[in-house]
Amino acid sequence: MNRSTYIVAAVVVLLFALSWVLHTLAMSGEADGVTRAFMVTMAAFLTLAIYSFLYKDNAFYKLAEHLYVGVSAAYWMCQGFWSTIVGNLIPRLSEGASNFFQQPYQASSWNVAYWIPVILGIMLLMRLTKNYGWMSRWPLALIVGTTAGLNFVRYLRSDFIVQVSSTFVPLLGDKELHPWLGFGAFVSNLDLSATGQLAALATNWVVFLGVICGIVYFFFSKEHTGVFGRASRVGIWILMITFGASFGYTVMGRISLLVGRITFLFRDWLGLIS
Amino acid sequence: MRRQIPFALVFIFGIFMVFQYFVPHETSEWAYEFLLDWIIVIGIFALALGIWSLFKVSVEKIKLGKEGAKYSYLTLVGLYLMVAFGFTQQTGGSLGFGYFVWIVLCSACIVALMRLRAVSDSGAKRMWGMVSLVTLVAAVLVAIFDDAWAFFLYTPEGLQNSMFRTFFDYVMMPILATMFSLLAFYIASAAYRAFRARNVLASLLLIAALLVMSRFNPFIPGAEYVAKASNWLMNVPNLAAQRAIVIGIGLGIVATALKVILGIERGYMGKG
Amino acid sequence: MKHKLMIGVLFVLFGMSSLWAQTEPVEADSAVVDSTELYPAPVSHLRATDKPNDHGHAIVVEWETSADDGGGKNNVVLYQVFRSMSFDGPFDSVGTAPAGEGRFEDIGSKDRSSSSFIPDDTDLFYQIDAVTADPAIRTPSDILDPVQSSGQWFNTGRVPVLVAVLIFGLLTGIFVTSAKRGRELYVRPIGGIEAVDDAIGRATEMGRPILYVLGLGTAADVATIASFTILSRVAKRVAEYQTELIVPTYDPIVMSVAQEVVKSSYFDAGRPEDYKEECVFFVTQSQFAYVAAVNGIMLREFPATNVYMGKFYAESLLLAETGSLAGSIQISGTDEIAQIPFFIVACDYTLIGEELYAASAYLGREPKLLGSLKAQDWAKAAVVVLAIVGLVAANFGWLEFPTLFRVID
Repeated sequence: MNRSTYIVAAVVVLLFALSWVLHTLAMSGEADGVTRAFMVTMAAFLTLAIYSFLYKDNAFYKLAEHLYVGVSAAYWMCQGFWSTIVGNLIPRLSEGASNFFQQPYQASSWNVAYWIPVILGIMLLMRLTKNYGWMSRWPLALIVGTTAGLNFVRYLRSDFIVQVSSTFVPLLGDKELHPWLGFGAFVSNLDLSATGQLAALATNWVVFLGVICGIVYFFFSKEHTGVFGRASRVGIWILMITFGASFGYTVMGRISLLVGRITFLFRDWLGLIS
Repeated sequence: MRRQIPFALVFIFGIFMVFQYFVPHETSEWAYEFLLDWIIVIGIFALALGIWSLFKVSVEKIKLGKEGAKYSYLTLVGLYLMVAFGFTQQTGGSLGFGYFVWIVLCSACIVALMRLRAVSDSGAKRMWGMVSLVTLVAAVLVAIFDDAWAFFLYTPEGLQNSMFRTFFDYVMMPILATMFSLLAFYIASAAYRAFRARNVLASLLLIAALLVMSRFNPFIPGAEYVAKASNWLMNVPNLAAQRAIVIGIGLGIVATALKVILGIERGYMGKG
Repeated sequence: MKHKLMIGVLFVLFGMSSLWAQTEPVEADSAVVDSTELYPAPVSHLRATDKPNDHGHAIVVEWETSADDGGGKNNVVLYQVFRSMSFDGPFDSVGTAPAGEGRFEDIGSKDRSSSSFIPDDTDLFYQIDAVTADPAIRTPSDILDPVQSSGQWFNTGRVPVLVAVLIFGLLTGIFVTSAKRGRELYVRPIGGIEAVDDAIGRATEMGRPILYVLGLGTAADVATIASFTILSRVAKRVAEYQTELIVPTYDPIVMSVAQEVVKSSYFDAGRPEDYKEECVFFVTQSQFAYVAAVNGIMLREFPATNVYMGKFYAESLLLAETGSLAGSIQISGTDEIAQIPFFIVACDYTLIGEELYAASAYLGREPKLLGSLKAQDWAKAAVVVLAIVGLVAANFGWLEFPTLFRVID
């Protein structure tokens, strides 16, 4: 570490201490004021440490990053232990254990089935051993197989059947999906307004053709030449329009996140805005 | 045989879930709910594996003196702090000064143990060994004699520990929110780099993004038409493309799931 | 005298007040009027059946609405449904239906300890009250003959899904068999997949590692499974070129699987001794803590190539932009539609949606995987054909065709 690093570090520590003292004085009437003042100062410094990453990787960012990784990993471990193991599993496994953990025992004739995931979980931990690591594949197989089967039927329904039936939109006639009543009826019902029949039908044609061209783009086993190639080109254009629209739509939402953090720094920490 | 059994299990459970979808009977529903509960329980055991991996990587970095190893102490201390908070709770009016002394002593003990593993010089080893022993004994004494707090190993009181919640509110949440807010800067830098109309596709992306970004801006000329064009863009071509992508993704998921169930796709289980 | 006068005045006053009271018209007490004028007609044609396509514990009760529901006295406001396990009662209210409605689904819990538990294969008796605005004024129906609930073993409302499963399975079987017989299958080039080999070569030449990010999905997500297959190909190449591989993971089960995959790939490449278990490690299960750590890795290790394959959420742009700043070649693929625009903008190559799932077939060129890809294309062709046929059918009056796609739960 060179001299400038020491100077920067000293300045940061001094500012931290100053902020802590000032906040402690401001919270002097409150319970645990000293602790809370420390934590507010810590939150502000961690915020600034993360923002310093925008300049370049530095010691403060590394500090915040490593602290966050350790704290968050342990946080989810505690949550998982108390809510799943103690809250859901132990009350089904044994009455004695439930009493020890002061949880209400959930009696059921099917409770013996909950020993299976415990055994599978222990098999998963066998990964840590040299000779029995092969056992860890069994619980993985259960998880992968179960979710593959689940996803297979569900996505077939939601992304195939439902999507196909959603393309059954009126392309002729009026705005509702009624049978074709002939050209006479079509002409007599013609409405050229922006919300009228013709605009709705034109919209449906664009959507229908856009869907077809988009699907054509994703064909892998046919060369994209000729008419097929042209349809594929239109498809990728429509995809790019969508991605651009999605990008633009998200920008405002991201800006609002920044406003939230700036508000914390200027209001809760520095007290410059009320 | 050892490699065939997992694939057989994948097939059995996969086919069962497919059949279960068409069988509304209670028995089938109970089996479905069991399987989903089992997956959650196994996931918690897996979390122990993950924490062990994180611990091992940090300890190895310190031991080998790799670049940035000193920050791994912070990872280990952070890991210890939240575990300590999650399994202790105050018994008196407040946690008391002794609780924080205990925290600091335990953190110092962890650092000393890591240094003990890392140094090779016998004198330094002896020194760090003494430090770790002293801090450990002091921490144990404080834990025994301080009545303001206690270990709660049998109820989830630890989750209500004021320091557990404080660290969540003042360490985790600020960093999370700040990381999220970095997106505002990154989205601007990504837009600056990408919004150069190099070809037709980039131009389409640029025009669509600009239209949608401008739709709520009343100050640009023709704001009303921009808003209408933007709404049309979101409701018509956007809908068409989304449907096409969803159909493609859906078929991709279906095909991959079927390949996994039938054992055609075996890469996820290692050598098969 | 005075006394008598006072009594007389009081008597007159009393008499006058009584006379006044008697001459005021007496307002009819609504409850006192002839009751048949107020009570509504009962419901008729009451029937109850077991709810179809369910796990049991549910009965559907139907009736014809009261004659005074919208007609006659027009005083029915709702129908109250009662159930009992014996003809003689007691009957408990299980719900109401608004006026105009002639159907009620009595859905109970399958959990025996629940207060709304309805036992299967047990006689249940129903009665419907036609109720007016005054809840006390109601007309009960006759008690219905007993009905029993039971669970079904096949959901007929999901037949369209079953047909789709069978068709897709058949297509996959046909094309996989055809591919195994040696039939050549063409696949069009995809830029992102072709760039993987070049990117690995680049990393080897520069002596810098390759960073592979599996995303934030679990081992249960199909996108993550597809990513494992790509990882196995990448790891095999990495092992052959003896380049360093870094795989930080978000989920501990994904970490276990990824370790297995990478280890096997090193064995396949004939370099088992080069495999280091710490190249695949768990970071944390918190989204932005994971991102912070991976960003740190990018700016400290300076990987030559970053590969992002799997499920990504808001952190996609953070990862891709940081990688771009670090000067890495970036190849990404995700099925999260909302994140694809950010990857397209920030990465050099992006696999859009389905291309991620096709990548494993491209990289391995195994006949079985290529056959499955062909089946996917045929399914897409079926979508196009069915959409066109359905559109024509719906627009020209054959409305039965769209109903074939209706899935009823």
